[in-house]
Amino acid sequence: MNDLTTMDEPVGVNQTMRDEIRRVSNATRARRILISRSMTILCGLALAIAAVPLFLLIYQLIRRGAPELTGTFFTQVPQTPTLIAPNATGGLSNAIIGSIALNIYASILAIPVGVLVGIYLAESASKFASALRIIAQTMAGAPSILMGLFAFSFLLQDLKVGFSAIAGSFALAILMLPVIVISTEIAVLNVPNTLREAGLALGAKPHKVSMRIVLPSALTGIVTGCILAISRAIGETAPVLLVIGGGYLNTWQPLNPVSALPLSIYENAKSEWPSQRAQVWGAALVLVGFVFILSLTARIWASRKQKVSN
Amino acid sequence: MTEIKTSQPTVLARDPGVTAMQLQDVAVSFNGRVAVRDATFDVAKNRVTSLIGPSGSGKTTLLRALNRLHDLTPGAKVSGQILLEGTDIYRGNLTVTELRTRVGMVFQRPNPFPTMSIYDNVVSGLRFNGIKKKALLDEAAETSLRSAALWDSVESRLKVAASNLSGGEQQRLCIARALAMDPEILLMDEPTSALDPIATLKIEELMTTLKERVTIIIVTHNMQQAARISDDCAFLLMGEDRAGELIEFDTTEKIFNNPNDSRTLDYTLGRFG
Repeated sequence: MNDLTTMDEPVGVNQTMRDEIRRVSNATRARRILISRSMTILCGLALAIAAVPLFLLIYQLIRRGAPELTGTFFTQVPQTPTLIAPNATGGLSNAIIGSIALNIYASILAIPVGVLVGIYLAESASKFASALRIIAQTMAGAPSILMGLFAFSFLLQDLKVGFSAIAGSFALAILMLPVIVISTEIAVLNVPNTLREAGLALGAKPHKVSMRIVLPSALTGIVTGCILAISRAIGETAPVLLVIGGGYLNTWQPLNPVSALPLSIYENAKSEWPSQRAQVWGAALVLVGFVFILSLTARIWASRKQKVSN
Repeated sequence: MTEIKTSQPTVLARDPGVTAMQLQDVAVSFNGRVAVRDATFDVAKNRVTSLIGPSGSGKTTLLRALNRLHDLTPGAKVSGQILLEGTDIYRGNLTVTELRTRVGMVFQRPNPFPTMSIYDNVVSGLRFNGIKKKALLDEAAETSLRSAALWDSVESRLKVAASNLSGGEQQRLCIARALAMDPEILLMDEPTSALDPIATLKIEELMTTLKERVTIIIVTHNMQQAARISDDCAFLLMGEDRAGELIEFDTTEKIFNNPNDSRTLDYTLGRFG
């Protein structure tokens, strides 16, 4: 049918034949335009259906979360409301500090290992590498509570570490690892082979080609992957639930029990005090803010032009 | 010729005769399948030798064997002898990195390192090989960029990313990058096939000047180009079993005017290919 509209008219065909071809191709074209327009309308509808809950969520989050974000929220530790002061909830500074600390330690644990494994997977064709790749892909899809359980049984029960930030970071690091490994591998594989050859043809040794040519060229992708891994980890409740211990301390110490924003949301949401339940929205808004800033950073990194740093 | 500064007189000192490279029964195979064979010819010093032939005749495969770029391809095997100043480059007392500093390469598509500036690109080979002295790098950068006829247009923006250059300029940058290593031989794999006619012309002019200091071996699809710029010419053709083989090697004049093999004549006259 497609051919009818574009094909040259046969030489020596009589007028009736030509008219027939024109008529059929016009009818086909009309039907195609109709289908095309209905599809556009359908796509628009689907978009609206998908967007409505998202906008409602953001609206609700800001409407109920923004009033919670007072100075106290960021600077004070939580208090338990009393009958005399039912709105004295204090702040969530401990959870904010805890979340940031957890993710910093998790990044320190996960990024170097993840990037090195990713480079290894991209540059090696061994059986061991294929096995590692399958493990990484499986881990990327594993339920996150599993990381928490593992950290609990390994660090807390076997190694007697105790409820601590480092135990939570360990669980988050395992969660981040596959994301970093996979995105690093893809970034390294995307570096054109002609660049490797150019380096080799200049007499560079293979490790120099990897470090000085391949890695800088893949850096944008690697950094983007790391940022996305962090933004995934920061919002996770399950892995840290079992191992960080909670508590009201403002502490950056890796071996102290800490709180975290997702954990505060989980605990406050169960409170009998309406003021504490309202505070949940503030915590959620801060968390979404973190994730938003991280993904924005990742996007800017990914789209920035390769600039030369002198 | 006068504007070419040959700051390294050692180039001449290490050359024993007029032959830059000798090929003897060179064959390349991938996983047992022969891609090119029967390549036997001498590459004369300070001349341009072109490899011509239709697609699949093994020109590029042969060229890449000359600085061991097949080494990293699993299943690739190079047999026969390739002698650089009498040393077998595969079995002789010559490391692969040393070989590649002496036999440079320019690729089909311009491939400057995208994360490096123009300056860093030119001196990258020297840096890979451990040279750090700034004065030396500066001098090498200027000399090579002048040799590649690029200095005047990039002198004021050496710190700019190489990706800002046009395609033709990028290719000349790649030539400068190869020249900075002061190679004896420069391999060029269809260096102008991705360029427009004016950029092509500039590179061709460049090659004519460059052969005063470096021997050039060029693969080209363009027979006019081979006729214009090369002094010697090797004609390759795909055989019955789909393996490329050397049909004829001679001066370009002979190949294009009065070849020994009728197939060479058919090809240069455009009867096939």
